Amino acid sequence: MGPAGGVFFRLTSSFRTRAALGLRPVTAPVTVFLPLGIVLGPWGANFISLTALGHLDVVISIVLATLGVFIGIAAGTQRGAVGRLLTASTVEAAVTILAVAGAVYALMHAWDMPSPIPYVLVALVLGLCASASAAPSVDEGDNRARRVAARVADLDDVLPIVVGGVVLAMIGEAGTPALAALALSIGLGVAIAFSGWLLFERTAGAERDVFVLGTLALLGGSAAYLEMSPLLAGLAGGWLWARAPGQTEQVVATHLRKVQHPLVVLLLITAGASLQATTAGIWLFAPYLVFRTAGKLAGGWMASRLASEVAPSDLGAYLIPPGVIGIAFALNVLQVAPEAGGPIVFAVSAGAIVSELLAVIVTPGPNPV
Amino acid sequence: MRRLVALGLTIAVVWFVVAGAGIVPAAPRVTALALGFSLIAAALSGALIERFGLPRVTGYLLFGMICGPYILNVITRPMARELQFINGVAVVLIAFIAGLEMNFERLRPRLRSMFQLGGIGMLGLYAGLFVAFWLGWPWLGLGTDVPLMQKAAIVAILTTVVASYSPTVTIALIAESRASGPLSELTLAIVILADLILILVFTLVMQFVRYAFGGTGEIGLFVSLSWEIFGSFAFGAAVGAVFAFYLHYVAREVAVALVAVCAIIAGVGSELHLEPLLAALAAGLVVENIAPPRGDMLKEAVERGALPVLVVFFAAAGASLQLDALATIGWVAVAVSALRMALIWGSMKAGAVYARIDQPIGDMVWMGLVSQAGVTLGLTLIIAGEYPTWGTMVQTLVVSLIALHQLIGPVLFRAALSRAGEIGGMDRGESLIPNP
Repeated sequence: MGPAGGVFFRLTSSFRTRAALGLRPVTAPVTVFLPLGIVLGPWGANFISLTALGHLDVVISIVLATLGVFIGIAAGTQRGAVGRLLTASTVEAAVTILAVAGAVYALMHAWDMPSPIPYVLVALVLGLCASASAAPSVDEGDNRARRVAARVADLDDVLPIVVGGVVLAMIGEAGTPALAALALSIGLGVAIAFSGWLLFERTAGAERDVFVLGTLALLGGSAAYLEMSPLLAGLAGGWLWARAPGQTEQVVATHLRKVQHPLVVLLLITAGASLQATTAGIWLFAPYLVFRTAGKLAGGWMASRLASEVAPSDLGAYLIPPGVIGIAFALNVLQVAPEAGGPIVFAVSAGAIVSELLAVIVTPGPNPV
Repeated sequence: MRRLVALGLTIAVVWFVVAGAGIVPAAPRVTALALGFSLIAAALSGALIERFGLPRVTGYLLFGMICGPYILNVITRPMARELQFINGVAVVLIAFIAGLEMNFERLRPRLRSMFQLGGIGMLGLYAGLFVAFWLGWPWLGLGTDVPLMQKAAIVAILTTVVASYSPTVTIALIAESRASGPLSELTLAIVILADLILILVFTLVMQFVRYAFGGTGEIGLFVSLSWEIFGSFAFGAAVGAVFAFYLHYVAREVAVALVAVCAIIAGVGSELHLEPLLAALAAGLVVENIAPPRGDMLKEAVERGALPVLVVFFAAAGASLQLDALATIGWVAVAVSALRMALIWGSMKAGAVYARIDQPIGDMVWMGLVSQAGVTLGLTLIIAGEYPTWGTMVQTLVVSLIALHQLIGPVLFRAALSRAGEIGGMDRGESLIPNP
């Protein structure tokens, strides 16, 4: 494995797995910290008040950009059969998006649900949240199927983040045309990342910490200021660092590893604290869960047919754990459109908890070669 | 060259975002942008200005001032306001670092002379300013035909506020230059002692002001004062003990835990009407003197945690400097500032002779006491809130003084540390204060 592959595997195995927080393999962070957020939040013990939740909103923009950077670096450092992997993961993600979005759109029409934004946008957002998967943890001795599933799980976040950038612009009130918003988010991400690239390798210690933190805050803050997607800006930035000359992606990855646990915990606790059980949220939860599971299984099967050389036949089962990207995107929607975002965050978060529990049963365990 | 390009690019991106948005979004979305911009651009400005022999904090301040609402307006007023959120955590972190730096075993032989110097210095400054304000009353614009007792009350409260020092800036400067030695220790001890006395004196003088202006004063004065001082120490000591326990038995993610401890002290402290600065100082004292951690774990954590907080704190302070106040009351502020510096110099020199402080340290202590910052501003807000007529004028004068002293103070103290040969002393010793 080359240095780029090493970074990729270290990132994926340390950040996006069940063991990311030092928990036992059967305990996903989502199942621990989302409920904790509910308990601590304004509708629970009120340790995290509505005012505190407002302050945490600042941090969420930065966390979103950081997650985007993780995915961008992971995507940018892919080597070898990337084309096939990307095809497989795109097909898998697209099938899940279509399954969830189609079902939700049809059901919202049938139920005549009240919604502050068009049905099609609610359906698309839920589809995009559903398509994200958490990579299974990968050790050196694991079999090929598990390794491929881990790489597909990382790449299947790229499509929803890019499409999410367009959808977010359509939901927001900034009035920027969708494609212009897409280009602007990517442009901002690249410009800020370029500035970071100029700084990171020539500095060290605490000063480098400041530059990395500042760049992440700038990625998240500039996108949030313009009501665009910090995830997409971060993705563009991470991809640039991975492709730029030098070892910038390793520098960033090393720094991010130091803060990944608090960031994931903060995101999940904030999501939990933001949860408010509404009728709309409860109605959306059931189809979200059912069609996400169906979409993942069907998408995984189709992906393995289309790219049989690289995708294992039980790919879908590996991709049931949702991870945190879907929840992050739902929180992003909540920032831009609070009224519409509430039910979406509820459906996605509740769906994530149940999916993680489901994954304990259906996802194949570590299976050494 | 790369740094200059990065600085230019960062400013261009933020200008593009702020100017291109057309609307000013809600507060949280402004904050992240302001935070990122300040971290990168202020840190680069600090490094740039260090090449001219000036302290980095002056670079952070100048960056905030130039990019702030009064000049370039890249950091708009809402952004500058939102950046203030870091103030609470920054003050606590800085006080915590000061506590970590005060080892009683090391300081014990010099405590007596430190108290003598600090006492004489503060008394001289207070007396000199009181007399000067009394005599210079017509030029201060605080009112005409004011009854004697009310005049005495106003002069007393103005003196108290103007006489205050800035522990925040002093500690930050020591941290920034990695200074260690007798001058650093002496200055640190004096500013902390002065801060304790300031809280006490301000509370008492405010009661006098209320009495002079026909109020009844608070019945529970000493109860609230005791709560503020002893309660803060007790709360801080408890938090420090918990943190020490964490360092011994968990010892993971120490930098994050440190920032969390500071956020808790800042948040809970203000909720309970405690003085966060004292609480944090007590926490640091407990960790350093009762349960010091093994190895460099805490040193590294402080180093990693402190720099971003200090950069944003001083950039925010620069962006919030009210240059319009300085323009309004300029000559009076300059005169008061010059008088204050002369009095600090004179009283500290007298104190150094009495306390038999070694030369040239005794001659240079005054240079570390010129800065003024957030605590002083907070006190003037209380005065202006209760007495809008003359209180607002006091506030304008003090805000102008802060603007001047924020710029002059760090440069003077850095020069003193350099002359004393203490810059970089931490790298030769075992101090905990980090290098921003």
